[in-house]
Amino acid sequence: MTVAPMRGALVHLRGVAMVGLEAYPVGIECARSPGLPALRLVGLPGAAVREAEERMRTAVQRSGFSWPRDRVVINLAPADLPKVGTGFDLPLALAVLAVTGQLDPCRVEGVSAFGELGLDGRIRSPRGQVTAARGAREAGAGRIMVAAGGAGEAALVPGIDVVGVADLTEAVDVLEGRRNPRRVAPITTSTSRRSLDLADVRGQPIARRAIELAAAGGHHVLLIGPPGCGKTMLAHRLHGLLPELSHDEAIDVAEIASIGGERRPDDSLSLDPPIRAPHHGATMAALVGGGAGIPRPGEMTLAHHGVLLLDELLEMPRRVLDALREPLEHGRIVVSRANARVEYPARVLLVAASNGCPCGYLGDTRRTCRCDPAAVERYRARLSGPLLDRIDLQVAVQPVEGARLAGPPDGESTEVVSQRVAAARRRAAQRWATMVGEKTVVRCANRDVEPRLARDAAGSKVVARLVDSLDRLGMSARAVDSCLRVAWTIADVDGDDRLSHDHVDEAVAYRAMDTNGRGE
Amino acid sequence: MNDDRGTQAGRRRQGRGVAAEGQGSDGDLGRDRFAGNLPPQLASDVTADVAATVAADGSDPEAIIRVVAWAIRPRRSPDGLRRACRDSDACDDPFKHVVTLAGAPASDEIAATRQVLTAWQQRGVKVALVGDPLYPQPLAEAFPTTPAPVWVAWRGEAIDKAPSIAIVGARRASGYGTAVAAWLAESVARAGVRVVSGGARGIDAAAHRAALEAPGGTAVVLGCGHAVDYPRPHAAPAGLFDQVVDHGGTLLSECLPFEQPRAGVVRARNRIVAGLVDAVVIVEGGERSGALLTASAAADWGRAVLAVPGDVRAPGSAAPHRLLSEGAAPCTSPDDVLEVLTGLGTHQVAAVSRLTEHDRDRSTRVLADAVWNVLAEAWPRPVRLEDLAVASGVPDARLMALLTQARIAGELSEGHDGIRLRREPADVSPHRCP
Repeated sequence: MTVAPMRGALVHLRGVAMVGLEAYPVGIECARSPGLPALRLVGLPGAAVREAEERMRTAVQRSGFSWPRDRVVINLAPADLPKVGTGFDLPLALAVLAVTGQLDPCRVEGVSAFGELGLDGRIRSPRGQVTAARGAREAGAGRIMVAAGGAGEAALVPGIDVVGVADLTEAVDVLEGRRNPRRVAPITTSTSRRSLDLADVRGQPIARRAIELAAAGGHHVLLIGPPGCGKTMLAHRLHGLLPELSHDEAIDVAEIASIGGERRPDDSLSLDPPIRAPHHGATMAALVGGGAGIPRPGEMTLAHHGVLLLDELLEMPRRVLDALREPLEHGRIVVSRANARVEYPARVLLVAASNGCPCGYLGDTRRTCRCDPAAVERYRARLSGPLLDRIDLQVAVQPVEGARLAGPPDGESTEVVSQRVAAARRRAAQRWATMVGEKTVVRCANRDVEPRLARDAAGSKVVARLVDSLDRLGMSARAVDSCLRVAWTIADVDGDDRLSHDHVDEAVAYRAMDTNGRGE
Repeated sequence: MNDDRGTQAGRRRQGRGVAAEGQGSDGDLGRDRFAGNLPPQLASDVTADVAATVAADGSDPEAIIRVVAWAIRPRRSPDGLRRACRDSDACDDPFKHVVTLAGAPASDEIAATRQVLTAWQQRGVKVALVGDPLYPQPLAEAFPTTPAPVWVAWRGEAIDKAPSIAIVGARRASGYGTAVAAWLAESVARAGVRVVSGGARGIDAAAHRAALEAPGGTAVVLGCGHAVDYPRPHAAPAGLFDQVVDHGGTLLSECLPFEQPRAGVVRARNRIVAGLVDAVVIVEGGERSGALLTASAAADWGRAVLAVPGDVRAPGSAAPHRLLSEGAAPCTSPDDVLEVLTGLGTHQVAAVSRLTEHDRDRSTRVLADAVWNVLAEAWPRPVRLEDLAVASGVPDARLMALLTQARIAGELSEGHDGIRLRREPADVSPHRCP
């Protein structure tokens, strides 16, 4: 059935507007009316959406269609939601074609589309392909038309039919039923780490143990030591110890990378946890997210489900350090700006490294530290109590002698240790799931376990002894839960079902910032 | 009604007056703003009451008011009074002469004096003038030719005639220096010798802490006034200074309560440390260490000087090694200190019953033998954690647990350069080669 083009007829399509990782359905209404040739875009179009007119006009003409010679109005509803990005090109062009009768308006009614137009009519995939598909599904759409190049990425979202089209002509042909939609190739998964092997690290048995515990329990870790002692090397090795991401986690990571512009749409789905290592000069906006207009995800969000490596932690401005506190606690960040409030996930494993004093050589046997003791205290005080409380493992790292550095590997490899880490994680997940009475084993690292649960599992005797120990050592009682979490991880790594005194005592020993230099 | 209004207006006027005075004041230390409102007679009465609570047993409150009032005037210091006393001719009783020289306070000095005294009173500080019964005896000798302070103000017990030594050294101390300082301090304090030091970080603090609970006790000579929190961690509530006072020690200062720890003041403090004791032990210090000042002050006072040899390459060995080359007695064990004290003939000093870790029964010792032996071999040098793990052969996890248990049991000390036994190990005695 064909309907004659009617002046005054309305065409409805659907696009997706994104605010951070939130996707909102946008109704695209297009009408044609007599008047001088003009395209009016209303409904808070962003700069890129306003520029769409030029891309559309050329692409439409180059694809063998004609551009309307009268007045076309397009409204993006809701009109008060800011629309940014180039994903509106495709639905807008389809709307124009439909309202001018070059495409059957009935066929486009309610169609969701997301894609950027090239001047030759080709369709590219903009940032946020996954988010767009998810948003369309949540808005009730059964199908979304996207660029063929990004179809695989969009198809990661279950429950929605993804149609990939290469150019405008193909889009029209598919909609009119003249051509079958092409088959979307499922995106392949890949892993590529393991290049940095733990066996490369010589000596450092205690620091290696701490790294293993951090990986097994998801504990934030701080390595303190002079320059060149291997802090950064160890921190990078921690990444290799983490288990592969689950499929859902990998999609989360891909989605964030896509929004952050860190990922090409045709990249395979990586099962590697991300690792981000911002420079210590990074601003607060770079770390937690921000920027003009709609805040972009920061490094903490880009490291979601992965590792955030902060080298020279104490060189970071105090304000930036304190901004880490909330995300580390809650696993998400809320960035509020004048025109948008965005919530980003940020469940990271923080691996921080720092010198022990301003000159760096405190605790180095090869060189003498020249810092005033009061200056050292001030330097360390930059790490505020609340932030330090969230770092379960604090280890002093010391340089390894040259002879051992040149010698053969003297420690276990990443392969061996990561197997232990995986087993420990399974054990922990099993225990917490049983304790809360869940049938299915969820992924739950010891770091995330509720303090009450960890205490219950440990038993009151163990907890009482721990409180007493901390008191005798002059350490804050706030460390109780942190020590218990680590103690559980130690038990998991050692393959024990019950928490022994040794597990707890070992956990207490990983509080170098509390104990080191005390009473001197 | 009228009365009320009048009172309010009066208050307002008074308020303005106070504000104007505050703005116009020259920032003089302790200028009491309300002092002008008290009749002169009343002001001096109130001040006398405060002075009476601050004065130590046997000290004259009126004399304290005079001396303090003299010292708080601009461009004056307590030591000016001593010099004036030294330089004047009529000096049959220098202690009385000091008070005479100070003269009667002017009426406008009364209020400022009261503020100083009140600051002391609030902190439970006692004050004695030179020559008073509770003024430390060794300091008062040969006054006014020796640079003894005109008054001392202290918290805690007054300093008695017990034998005492000073243990001084660098703030940036190594684990070795800290261990030796603590070893010497605890051992001699157990023999009834008071350990005096400057309350600074590093060596000073290690000596104070180690002597804290022993019979000899410890005394801190502050480099600032009692109302100044310096060094901050030590002056904090329940910090080192509170512990010293709680354990029957002394927190002594020659400064006005709000005197800041300027370099000159802190250095001047060293002469008091030297004057209070029979012998001075220098543990660690750089080329320009304040410990050298203490040593030269000790020579001026005629006190014995000992120095602890250190690593020849360590920067912290410069001061003790220089003193050794200049003739200081080498100090390699607590016995050396006690021998010097006995040799002075002024005191009867019991031989030290060596306090070593063998006091702790081997069976109650927390540390495993493998770990213990490594630490004992190295003592008083610290061992780095990684080295301890390798050398002891104890599995890392077990080692970390053991260390926590040993810390709780008080068997260990640790610093930035490693872990060491808190006390001298009995089994190995590296300081006495056969």
